[in-house]
Amino acid sequence: MNTSDSDDDFYNERTALVPSENPVVPSYKPDPDLTPTNSTPTTRVKPGASRRSGPACVDSGGSDQEVDADDEELTLKYGAKHVIMLFIPVTLCMVVVVATIKSVSFYTEKTDQQLIYTPFTENTPSVGLRLLNSVLNTIIMISVIVVMTIFLVVLYKYRCYKFIHGWLILSSLMLLFWFSFMYLGEVFKTYNLAVDYPTVGVIIWNFGAVGMICIHWKGPLQLQQAYLILISALMALVFIKYLPEWSAWVILGAISVYDLVAVLSPKGPLRMLVETAQERNEPIFPALIYSSAMVWTVGMASPVDAQRSEYETDEEAEQSAGRAEPESRRPRSGPDEELEEDRGVKLGLGDFIFYSVLVGKAAATGGDWETYIDSSFIIIWIGLCLTLLLLAIFKKALPALPISITFGLVFYFSTDFLVQPFMDNLAAHQFYI
Amino acid sequence: MNLERLPNEEKLSLCRKYYLGGFAFLPFLWLVNVVWFFQEAFLKPTYTEQLQIKTYVKRSALGLVLWVTVLTTWITIFQHFRAQWGAVGDYLSFTIPLGIP
Repeated sequence: MNTSDSDDDFYNERTALVPSENPVVPSYKPDPDLTPTNSTPTTRVKPGASRRSGPACVDSGGSDQEVDADDEELTLKYGAKHVIMLFIPVTLCMVVVVATIKSVSFYTEKTDQQLIYTPFTENTPSVGLRLLNSVLNTIIMISVIVVMTIFLVVLYKYRCYKFIHGWLILSSLMLLFWFSFMYLGEVFKTYNLAVDYPTVGVIIWNFGAVGMICIHWKGPLQLQQAYLILISALMALVFIKYLPEWSAWVILGAISVYDLVAVLSPKGPLRMLVETAQERNEPIFPALIYSSAMVWTVGMASPVDAQRSEYETDEEAEQSAGRAEPESRRPRSGPDEELEEDRGVKLGLGDFIFYSVLVGKAAATGGDWETYIDSSFIIIWIGLCLTLLLLAIFKKALPALPISITFGLVFYFSTDFLVQPFMDNLAAHQFYI
Repeated sequence: MNLERLPNEEKLSLCRKYYLGGFAFLPFLWLVNVVWFFQEAFLKPTYTEQLQIKTYVKRSALGLVLWVTVLTTWITIFQHFRAQWGAVGDYLSFTIPLGIP
């Protein structure tokens, strides 16, 4: 694959949004900013019991108190429910990546081709030089990501929505068509099937076109979620293939640090993105976010906003370290009608990707891969649960990468150096525990 | 996108757009149309636009079946006769299996 041009454009888009945003909406308290002056109950979010929050719109004061009292007990339930809601997509993504890595050898073949974002080769004889090169690669990659994110935030601030949309569309086009074409080709080669161009053409065309429609326009929720998962898996596979060994690990570590900084620090680009979107009362880039439930705003929102709120894209999301966000949009068809809540958690697609990269790389190391898989998988899960717990406590956008990735890295390397030889020794001495 | 929340006119319009879109060599779109609107068209109590939605769903299903037949036939023919077609077979092939058939 030609790494320079095609990847370049694509990468630009992808790395752009390193961490894309989820609307920061406190889940349990009504957000005064978001409550519009016209007393429409857009932002009242209550965990669980929607009835209580029902027509709480206008009399915000009263319902507040009673809501707060129930917040505590609902916190846990809320957190648990969302862990489950996110369990399936993240697992699916990892499963797809691992299955591909194990069966299609293409993705584990080392080539000398590298992305232009990681120009320093790792084929050097000395360890020190290799380490240096991987650190340099990481620095380049992270700076590209930072620049792109800032660029995106600036665009967003100056309302260049058209540009952003065009960018996203281009990028998803590339992902949906080109990468899946490659993927399909490799799968067919692995299973030694003869496939003709017309059939492949029809398959890819259908896959891509329906994907574009589902993601950028309107489509059934499950299909959209499925496409987002597939796309994240594809991206993760590309990363696994084209990032050199050590660089990949260092990049994983660096990106979780970046994620932490960008989301939590007051001057972080992501935080600014979130705040800008809040000021404008818009859902922050529903693009690039995986939402486990549906967002539906109606009525007061302008058609553009309504469109965008149903708009879940991904590509750039690659880099978007996710925010796990409590979902809190309320559909309203009229102030009198029964108000429902769509509760859901949003996780950035970048999170999917990097989790899958972690697990995939673990799978790609030869030998006793089951140990790595199990440990990575479980670790990521623990990390995600912790993050969601923190989310329920802090009720604002949180970076989803750091905890999981840190644990994941720690356990991967310790498994590598400690557990593996231990198991080997046990097996060699026929000692079963 | 939850169909429940859309007003009927929009459901109809969406169904129609999916139906028309399928003509661009997109049987998958027709499949999505059928599956997604099946409940709307057949299992819900009647409403004004339902009849039209039913028509679209039926036609999408028809188009889908047609496409599936055509594709299956073509694939069978190709797989069977690929080796015998020699150069043309190779030209048409995206991937060529290794080894002796």
